[in-house]
Amino acid sequence: MGAEATQISAFAAAAAHALCFAGLAAAHSFAGRGALISDPALALRLLVVCEAPLVIVVFSLLRRDPERCSLIKAAARGLLGLPIGAFLNAFGAIVLGAPVGIKYWTATTYWSLLMSLFTFVPAACVFGASKVDWQNVLSYSAVFLFSHASYCTSSNVVDCMISVPSHGAVIGAWLGAWPMPLDWERPWQEWPICVTYGAVAGHLIGMLVSLILIVAHKRRVRVKAD
Amino acid sequence: MGAASSPSCAALASWTVAAVLLQVAGLSLFLYGFFPVKPTLPGLSGAESYRTPSCGPVGGGEEPALPPDQLRSLYRELSGVPRVYDRLVLMVIDGLPAEFVLGRGGKPPSKEMMESMPYTQSLLAGCKAVGYHAKAAPPTVTMPRLKSMVSGAIGGFLDVALNFNTQAFLDDNLLDQLHAIGYKLVMLGDETWIKLFPTLFYRQDGVSSFYVKDTVEVDFNVSRHLEFELDAKDWDALILHYLGLDHVGHTGGRRSVLMTKKLKEMDDVIRRIHTASMSLQDSPDRTLLVVVSDHGMTEGGNHGGSSYEETDSLALFIGHSVESSYCSPYDQKEALQVDLAPTLALLFGIPIPKNNIGILLPELVNSLTDDQKLRSLELNSWQIVRLLQEQLPAICFEHCINPNDGWGIGMLPESTEEKLCHLLSKAYASHQSPRLHRDSDFKSVEAVGHFGTAVDAYYGFLRYASEWLSHRATDKPLYLLVSAISLMIVSCFSLAGIISCLFRGNSSSQVEQHSELHLDKHWHLDEVFVLMGMLLYVISLGSSSFVEEEQYTWHFLTSSLYLIFLFKTVQSMLKESNSTVLRKSEAKIFHRNNYSFLTSYKFGPGQRDGYKLYTVLVVLVSGRIIRAWHQGGVNWVHILDISKILAQADPYIIKCLQIISVLVVVVLYAVSLMLLRTRKVHVIGLWFSHLFCGLLVVLHIWESQLNTSVLINHSTTSIAQIFYAIASMSIVLTILVSPWVSPIHSEEAEPTSSSSSNPEKTVHLHGINYSVFLTGITYTMFWCLLQLLLQQAINAIPLLLILLQIISSVIHFSREKPLHRQWVQVVAMQLLGLTGHFGLGNTNSLASIDVAGAFVGISSYSTVLSGLLMFISTYGSPLLLYLGMVVYISVKDNDDISAPQLFKWSSILNKMIALPCLVPLLINSIALTSYTIVLLLMRNHLFVWSVFSPKYLYVCAATVCTYAGVLIIAMTAVYTCAVFSFRTRSYRNKSM
Repeated sequence: MGAEATQISAFAAAAAHALCFAGLAAAHSFAGRGALISDPALALRLLVVCEAPLVIVVFSLLRRDPERCSLIKAAARGLLGLPIGAFLNAFGAIVLGAPVGIKYWTATTYWSLLMSLFTFVPAACVFGASKVDWQNVLSYSAVFLFSHASYCTSSNVVDCMISVPSHGAVIGAWLGAWPMPLDWERPWQEWPICVTYGAVAGHLIGMLVSLILIVAHKRRVRVKAD
Repeated sequence: MGAASSPSCAALASWTVAAVLLQVAGLSLFLYGFFPVKPTLPGLSGAESYRTPSCGPVGGGEEPALPPDQLRSLYRELSGVPRVYDRLVLMVIDGLPAEFVLGRGGKPPSKEMMESMPYTQSLLAGCKAVGYHAKAAPPTVTMPRLKSMVSGAIGGFLDVALNFNTQAFLDDNLLDQLHAIGYKLVMLGDETWIKLFPTLFYRQDGVSSFYVKDTVEVDFNVSRHLEFELDAKDWDALILHYLGLDHVGHTGGRRSVLMTKKLKEMDDVIRRIHTASMSLQDSPDRTLLVVVSDHGMTEGGNHGGSSYEETDSLALFIGHSVESSYCSPYDQKEALQVDLAPTLALLFGIPIPKNNIGILLPELVNSLTDDQKLRSLELNSWQIVRLLQEQLPAICFEHCINPNDGWGIGMLPESTEEKLCHLLSKAYASHQSPRLHRDSDFKSVEAVGHFGTAVDAYYGFLRYASEWLSHRATDKPLYLLVSAISLMIVSCFSLAGIISCLFRGNSSSQVEQHSELHLDKHWHLDEVFVLMGMLLYVISLGSSSFVEEEQYTWHFLTSSLYLIFLFKTVQSMLKESNSTVLRKSEAKIFHRNNYSFLTSYKFGPGQRDGYKLYTVLVVLVSGRIIRAWHQGGVNWVHILDISKILAQADPYIIKCLQIISVLVVVVLYAVSLMLLRTRKVHVIGLWFSHLFCGLLVVLHIWESQLNTSVLINHSTTSIAQIFYAIASMSIVLTILVSPWVSPIHSEEAEPTSSSSSNPEKTVHLHGINYSVFLTGITYTMFWCLLQLLLQQAINAIPLLLILLQIISSVIHFSREKPLHRQWVQVVAMQLLGLTGHFGLGNTNSLASIDVAGAFVGISSYSTVLSGLLMFISTYGSPLLLYLGMVVYISVKDNDDISAPQLFKWSSILNKMIALPCLVPLLINSIALTSYTIVLLLMRNHLFVWSVFSPKYLYVCAATVCTYAGVLIIAMTAVYTCAVFSFRTRSYRNKSM
């Protein structure tokens, strides 16, 4: 399966990540410094609006089976995946203790849309409803923390590009929630500010790690080929 | 080979017991070292307290015991301060926050409060009374606070543990001093006083603080003597201790509807006493009325912790010496509760108690001359200097006041000794100068100024010394603590070693058998998460706010673990739908192990996928509801949560929820008994007794609904007693009988065992599982009913949700091909229990312990019984999970024991209970050891007594709870296996 799928170069992967990063940076510059703290809902909305088209387009270009599945179809899958992923992320966050009052409603919605863009949408664009691919990408997660060697070698580069940043985002958000109960009384301890910081940071680190893995893998393959 | 490599059952048990004993030894050593019984100066202070303190060791200058009259005149002669009052009325209102009378932050109290105490407020407004916010030291529990009020000392922290078991008070205190000069004391009210001073009172009538629900009778029993005592002339000191207000708080919280009524009643008592003492105005006896409270209360009416609401107790003085022409009664006047002791001692012309660290309250001595005021402060300072000399031998009064020797006034103070000495010499020097001025009999402006500086200097010294004495980190024997901790670490590591040994044995025996794909040697996500989570938890213990808000940590970790379970379930569902081959083979396994009860209902493969998913979802959603039920530990108490919304709603809603939960528990028990698919007499009998117990609980709820505020309710007590009797009988009978009556050669198991390699083995396992399941489910369900009886009404639904979580987890883990290793499952169950502990409204502050539950169904006071009930209701949730673990080990299929040569009773036992017992012990040991280390490191932290030490008591109680739970699991399994091995042997003999 992996062999027939589109193999993309490390440069293309870097470009894709750079585009996604550009979206985040643009949203940051639009919102201005500290916007996330003063008005989290607005800042998150800007992030989602800037990031969504970029992520959907970039990962639709990287879709599986480009022959059978048009770009439009992949983008539509991504658009459909956005609310579904948002729902799943919101469920996770609420179960973990995110507040559910009306006051937090908009912020939670935008936060989960953003998380969906980090985690669910790329996979939805690329894989569609292919169960095997989903299973592959999920099963990596169980081992990817502990056996980097096996990861990103036998499999597809795209899997790596999707999986590592999305795991980074989830772990970052999880860790970002830890300061919330502290009694420092800082404004950023409110839901979902520090969680968003954690998620974005984790996502960026994940992008970097995935790039490093891809480059390392390509080099190893080249050495082997020689 | 497998049997040889895995440690034998007896060795395992003995190693575990050794590790546990080591831990207990370490813990007791640490407790002994860390919470010392504070050294106090023995004996009563006498005439020497009016002489300048001498250097060197405090000599036991024993004076001959004088008769009271002579002693009184001796004191009068020596002191140089005339007695200000002759009679004392000390009125203690248990649990009254100063906020109710004096307001908060410079603002008067709310209008409602003002109106409910009209007389007291008129006294305050008329400047006839002066009130202080007297800060009480934690633990804010009655007995230690009474002790510190009369002795002026802050007792050891462990006094709270002794609160239930009051013993006679031997330290120097006001009452003994008053008694020594011939005062006749009368005590009415809380019998704690009588326990503290068994032989002191001339007349007494104690009431018990035992029936927390009784808010009327308890105070009536005090007030009924009032008329007689106020008319009587034979006493000199009258102590009244009203408990009703505290009881109102415990039952209804600060905003209880009964509160204003109770305050009106207290106000009326104050009015009666004050008018009675006013009418005696002409006579030479002057009466001081002191209204104090021993502690405050939280919003919910509990106390014990160190929040502002709990420590804000009242000290209100009504007498001629406090009257002034101008006053602002609602200014926030801060004092310490211990200041009561020196103030009263000086006002009544008796020596200040030896261990006092309080300071004379300035407004109480308004009627004295300037010189007398300074003399009072000097006496106070001398007493404190004596106490300081005991703890800092370097301090010497004579050296201090003599600037030529050693430390001078001009020198910059460096060490604590020097600072104290410097302050003292400054005070003494400024005291001396106005005295010289006065000889010229000429009150100049300068003299007044000198007086002011002298008073300030004295207060400077006294405040610093008092603060230092109260905050002084007691010298802890560090080597003792470190050796205690090393014992605990050794125990912790040996437990870990036992478990790893067990794993090695398991894995080697598993390799021999079918090497299952899912149990490979890799670390799995959930396992790594558990380890990381434990690490994060241990780190979080170092932060005081994480300790205060521990419920967030546990909920976060538990939910994350179950989200990972959800993730793995989805993953395995994807995998299964992809590979049909796998499904077939699994169906075969499923068929083979059909004796597991919960899975014995025929689920189709699709259904099973469904139930796997739903069980995890149930756990997650109920966990979230439980968290929303009680929000906040210490800092975020104000956040609105479901329990607060319900508390404001109609009480009938809560009662309905309670009754619904009882019914659901009864129905769940019936359903789980039906899973056994037998119609035997004992099962039906059990069902009936459970049903009857459920009805009793409903009846109890109903009865206590009908008469909430009425005195001791005998009918509810007897209902609870019947419940205890029936429930304990059913449980004991189940434990003893169920292994004997469960099928040893069952017919039901026959068809399924055909595919198995060893039919006999399957039959035995079936019998054991049957018996353990029956016992476990009986434990769990009766425990739930007991909790519904004991817990606060508001906790019924969270308790039910915890039960649902257990059942769902057990179903989830009971599937044939486990997604997670067994130890992860045990950890998950234990995490549920810990989260549930906080979900039932417990926090790491002593204030959240529900005292009312400790007295359900007890008709006479018993420390042991009510302590036990309090433990049961506080640790209801973790114990529930340990009982649920018994169910879990019965539905867990032990297909690892399929090799016939492994079939031994000890190996069955080993597989069954080794991990469920060892993993909780290890986790508790890690928590205990790391927290002990944290406590040692934090011993000089500002919050050590308010945050870290109460948490340590909880950690110790959790350790006891773990031991109890593990003991129950182990005993049940061992007994069942023993009975079965006996029965198989006799069965074989018979068949031969």
